[in-house]
Amino acid sequence: MEAAKMASPKSAPKDAQVMAQILKDMGITEYEPRVINQMLEFAYRYVTTILEDAKIYSSHAKKSSVDADDVRLAIQCRTDQSFTSPPPRDFLLDIARQKNQTPLPLIKPYSGPRLPPDRYCLTAPNYRLKSLQKKVSSTAGRITVPRLSVGAVSSRPSTPTLGTPSGQAVSVSAKVGAPVSLAGQRFTVQIPSSQPAGKSATPTTPTVQNVLINPSLIGPKNILITTNMVPPGAADPNPLKRKHEDDDDYDAL
Amino acid sequence: DRQTLVAVLQFLRRSNLRESEEILRREARLLGDDLGGNVATVATSSPGVAAVAAVPPGKGEARGDCGVGPSSGREPRGVGSPVSSPSSKITHSGDVIGGAVAVEDQPDVSAVLSAYNQQGDPTLYEEYYSGLKHFIECSLDCHRAELSQLFYPLFVHMYLELVYNQHESEAKSFFERFHGDQECYYQDDLRVLSSLTKKEHMKGNETMLDFRTSKFVLRISRDSYQLLKRHLQEKQNNQIWNIVQEHLYIDIFDGMPRSKQQIDAMVGSLAGEAKREANKAKVFFGLLKEPEFDVPLDDEDEEGENEEGKPKKKKPKKDNVGSKSKKQDPNAPPQNRIPLPELKDSDKLDKVMNMKEAARRVRLGPECLPSICFYTFLNAYQGLTAVDITDDSSMIVGGFADSTVRVWSVTPKKLRSVKTAADLSLIDKESDDVLERIMDEKTASELKILYGHSGPVYGTSFSPDRNYLLSCSEDGTVRLWSLQTFTCLVGYKGHNYPVWDTQFSPYGYYFVSGGHDRVARLWATDHYQPLRIFAGHLADVTCTRFHPNSNYIATGSADRTIRLWDVLNGNCVRIFTGHKGPIHSLAFSPNGRFLATGATDGRVLLWDIGHGLMVGELKGHTDTIYALRFSRDGEILASGSMDNTVRLWDAVKAFEDLETDDFTTATGHINLPENSQDLLLGTYMTKSTPVVHLHFTRRNLLLAAGAYSSQ
Repeated sequence: MEAAKMASPKSAPKDAQVMAQILKDMGITEYEPRVINQMLEFAYRYVTTILEDAKIYSSHAKKSSVDADDVRLAIQCRTDQSFTSPPPRDFLLDIARQKNQTPLPLIKPYSGPRLPPDRYCLTAPNYRLKSLQKKVSSTAGRITVPRLSVGAVSSRPSTPTLGTPSGQAVSVSAKVGAPVSLAGQRFTVQIPSSQPAGKSATPTTPTVQNVLINPSLIGPKNILITTNMVPPGAADPNPLKRKHEDDDDYDAL
Repeated sequence: DRQTLVAVLQFLRRSNLRESEEILRREARLLGDDLGGNVATVATSSPGVAAVAAVPPGKGEARGDCGVGPSSGREPRGVGSPVSSPSSKITHSGDVIGGAVAVEDQPDVSAVLSAYNQQGDPTLYEEYYSGLKHFIECSLDCHRAELSQLFYPLFVHMYLELVYNQHESEAKSFFERFHGDQECYYQDDLRVLSSLTKKEHMKGNETMLDFRTSKFVLRISRDSYQLLKRHLQEKQNNQIWNIVQEHLYIDIFDGMPRSKQQIDAMVGSLAGEAKREANKAKVFFGLLKEPEFDVPLDDEDEEGENEEGKPKKKKPKKDNVGSKSKKQDPNAPPQNRIPLPELKDSDKLDKVMNMKEAARRVRLGPECLPSICFYTFLNAYQGLTAVDITDDSSMIVGGFADSTVRVWSVTPKKLRSVKTAADLSLIDKESDDVLERIMDEKTASELKILYGHSGPVYGTSFSPDRNYLLSCSEDGTVRLWSLQTFTCLVGYKGHNYPVWDTQFSPYGYYFVSGGHDRVARLWATDHYQPLRIFAGHLADVTCTRFHPNSNYIATGSADRTIRLWDVLNGNCVRIFTGHKGPIHSLAFSPNGRFLATGATDGRVLLWDIGHGLMVGELKGHTDTIYALRFSRDGEILASGSMDNTVRLWDAVKAFEDLETDDFTTATGHINLPENSQDLLLGTYMTKSTPVVHLHFTRRNLLLAAGAYSSQ
């Protein structure tokens, strides 16, 4: 962008000339041409806001016209709101004295990456998964067709690990990265009960538990795998049910 | 206190409040007119007097309004604030001259009273000032230079006084008449002042408020001071004397008055010079001892001695990485003065690499100048606002006005992020190259862009172990990024205003940031609040640097001073004045003894930290100096500036032959030799790229960075 020449007096409107003169008085000699437009826009917006506020104050005080006091009040309120200035010096000296009295904390050795507690970091996931509160009837003898809906609850580097939604053998490893602590979470995975009739060679894995996830407790690097267990045993109602659960699954939160 | 009591008694008597006077006198057990000594320091008791003065029920007519009110509207004052007399004014109606209210037979009390009558008569301010001007101009040559220092602070304080008391027209004419007399280096301040015409303008301007409440320091020799005092006290109007007492701190020294040249070198800051006691504290400027550890004598492939495959005898060689002497350097801080992180294995490997590179380092000197390699940022459209390079020169980061932070790899090795957690569990943790295996090849690229800030990024800093990157921005936060995952880890909120600079400590873990709120803060990566707050500057902190031993922090500010702070207790141990513009670059010498600073006035100033003195001035640049760096062994100082040049200066010569005899250290006088030309070793011009960053590699190759600007 080229350094600006000042707007030529012949073509610029009066306001722009005034603004150019102000810039010159303040010692600013080089500026892009759109600076004048930005300054004019700011000035116009500011004055309009102040005058509108002053009108409100004036009508509140049941005055017939806006006078200087109203404008002064409007300016003061706006300044406190939009144009805050840094704290005054004695306040800073005071808090500095307080802060500087505490000795420097000792550094624990061998503590890995030294970061503040998790709630002050930006490492938590910034989305929540809808929790599934499904009761699973664990009647044996039904052919279960598990479907996996996998949600990855991890934020750091790991992309979600998708367990392959295979039909039969689901070796779901609720694998969570080693460094993560699962303290305070109930995190269990539903695994389909074994298929009867020798469909697969997988041994029976009778662990059937409810998946109860409290999303707010999920910490970093957790991999959440939920399985949607739909026993397809009962013929007709089940496909419908499954569909219902389908919709349920993809319902927006 | 006694003086004020006497003053109040006089006041009551003059107001014909005989009964109140009697009661007060009885209570104070004063008999007769006890007028006591000299002009009192009225400061501390003024709130009390304000209360008492409100007691005599408004003798409305003669005394106008007992305008004690204004004190409440002021900014909250700390308890220890020495300046409080403006806070209680007894406004006299009409044009009664404050000092001249002096009841003729009681001059001392009138002086006390006039202290409460600060505004005096606005129309007479011009007279006072020109009277003083005349006196100073007629004084002896040797005293004139020193007394001329009074002009600027007096001018500003009188002007601000007029503005504060809402005498707009008088203020304007006062300004018109005298602003041309001031020194040229104060012109920027005067321009700001000229726009402050109403009391409301002052409220938002913290710098001006600080200026009003802090004392401007002047160093004057005893002879000149006596002269001044005699002149001001023999005149009946003590207005100027009051202002001098209230707003100026005169540091008197015994000795020869200084010449104009000496004075010009040291003045220029917003708070005058530094008091001599400010620079007397002991500073541990030595370096910390490097830990010793075994360095395996490893294969020197290039040597090629054992190419035949003969088994090399690998004898572990005990190598003193640190100093050879067993004695503790008296100027070095104790190892455990501040807690520092312990060395990890990767750090030890780093140190070994460092040593090996150091062995191959080029020794620089006037005959052997470094080669300069310039990294130009193209297509930045004037948006490049910060640059940093890692210590081993492998990565370069740029902070931009569009709030992005971009990291490039400068070596052929690309930037990779670590694999995901699932993949990580699959690798063999015991293998030798596990550090390579954790990296995900799919994410290899030369450039990584980090998004997160919501304002231009004004400062960036790599951690010494190259695992973290800091960036600070106009949005008031400092962000910590991981260079292994290239994501943001923490946002440190504390400054609520733009943060202008940040830097990691040379040992990692701590970092410092400085911003628009006039303070610098010390943080540790694992605390979400700052550990130390360094408050004291009058204007924005624009530049922050750690000392090589990590025990001190230097901050340069827009109030044109540099302060050195102790990390242990947050005290300011040094104040360096002399620059005539905001400071934008700081560099510590590798041996920790000296500090080089660059500002918008185009000069590089050199300071001896131990003695607290200016030891050199390097003139040559014509525009702001944004980059300063000492070579690895401290032989060469490189400076880069907005005038598109890089200049190399002979640091060894600049620091030798320091005359630091007792007289110099006692009075703080310096006689700077005019040797800038001798010290300049070379000027290297870029076509039209201002230099934003300088970095000496471990082998003393100079890297420079800047953004190409087409105008």
